[in-house]
Amino acid sequence: MTAYIKKQVLLKAEHVQLNYGDNVILRDINFEIKDIIRPGMQQGQVVSLIGRSGMGKTQLFKLLSGLQVPTAGNICIQDNQPVKAGDMGVIFQNYYLFEWRTVYQSLLLAAKQNLQLKGKEKENIEAYAERFQLTEQLKQYPQQLSGGQRQRASIIQQLLKGSDFLLLDEPFSGLDVCVLDKVVELLLEVSVTDEFKTLIIVSHDIPACVAISDTIFILGREAGKPGATIVKEIDLIERGLAWQKEVRYLPAFADTVEEIKACL
Amino acid sequence: MVVLQALVTLLLWQTASNGLIPPPGKVANAFLHLLSTRLLIDNLLVSLLLTIKAMLLSILITLLIAYLSVIPFFKGIAQFIVKCRYLTLTGLIFIFTLLTKDGSQLKLSLLIFGIVPFFTCSFLAVIFNIDKQEFELCKTLGYNNWQTLYEVIIVGKADQAFEILRQNFAISWLMITMVEGLNMSEGGIGALMIKYNKYNDLTNVLALQLVIFLVGLLFDYLLGSIRLWLFPHTKLQIQVS
Repeated sequence: MTAYIKKQVLLKAEHVQLNYGDNVILRDINFEIKDIIRPGMQQGQVVSLIGRSGMGKTQLFKLLSGLQVPTAGNICIQDNQPVKAGDMGVIFQNYYLFEWRTVYQSLLLAAKQNLQLKGKEKENIEAYAERFQLTEQLKQYPQQLSGGQRQRASIIQQLLKGSDFLLLDEPFSGLDVCVLDKVVELLLEVSVTDEFKTLIIVSHDIPACVAISDTIFILGREAGKPGATIVKEIDLIERGLAWQKEVRYLPAFADTVEEIKACL
Repeated sequence: MVVLQALVTLLLWQTASNGLIPPPGKVANAFLHLLSTRLLIDNLLVSLLLTIKAMLLSILITLLIAYLSVIPFFKGIAQFIVKCRYLTLTGLIFIFTLLTKDGSQLKLSLLIFGIVPFFTCSFLAVIFNIDKQEFELCKTLGYNNWQTLYEVIIVGKADQAFEILRQNFAISWLMITMVEGLNMSEGGIGALMIKYNKYNDLTNVLALQLVIFLVGLLFDYLLGSIRLWLFPHTKLQIQVS
């Protein structure tokens, strides 16, 4: 098994609850994301939150991004600070970009929000664009981009903003098999850009999530209790399923997918 | 097709002319004669300058009202201004006469009062229909409220403000002839038309209508072209739709 240790807590959700009136949407959500340290390499974290449609994934996504405030409980990141809008890089499901800005202008706006890039915005944009094969599209408007190019532009935008966390809403939705592999590859590449880089994927695509993540949290319902909660945590590193390129061919992969299905 | 439709219209017009309505040939001659006179150019310039002045002031007032409408206190005021579309200018002329210093100010004030509710109505609709995700994207990028207002409403909707300006030019152009009739000393195409109407010179009235129509079309085209030049992404939206 690959050597690793889990160290400091990067994100902690404690007793998070979300109600709409009397309707309980999310109940007592508790989980932690820790920094994974692998000797001799820069390894970020990839965590997936899996749940069936209508289970409250989008609400949890909004709570994690700080766009919505929980009814009770809290979600804290570095230094135990409650998460607020702007703390996390957020990639919406439809890869929303400002339609009136060229890709370059959008990226520049994001880079200007990052004080660490002050005076070096242009170089960083060009470097990311080259890395993610978007150099030729920098002068184009979002309407001129393909779905994949939009996704990459959205990811670069949030990376330039400088947050350690990248929250992705259904990044595998509606993708064909070939494109799906490319997206998985892209996200894995993003995850190793920094030791503290943490990708949180909210999705219902079980195989894609297992193939990319190091930890899976399953959002489901408990009998006789209202609202959805985290019903199971699966450590994919312990099962030898993390950081493996050919993970889909391992027997443990199929078993894990089946196990998750059974929990939903 | 358009040529054929125009020919059919002219033919119908020609056959319907029974002495009371001047035939198209006569109107065309009057139109060409008007074009060659200084009278038309001078009056047209007066009207155009007044319209442009009123449009610019109206759009400034509208944008101010619309931007402020995101603050709850001003929302009600903005909605009241929208309702002012149903007020008729005729009943307010006396009040405006008392409030303004001279005829020039009276015309300008009436035009602005007439245009602003329509501008505001259109622009508020744009603001109310903004996709929530535009605001959410700003929040995720760490923008404060002013940065969000600037990016989403001021910069992001500038093309639509320009489109409203283009669409409402017709309203301003329609009102100009009416308000110019209130103070004829400064001239203008409205004053010229009233003069022709007074002497039952229907041929020149129709020729002048043709001028007004063509100037309207020209401005519509010009504003449309400027919009595409200033906001290239709108060209892509047109292609997509």
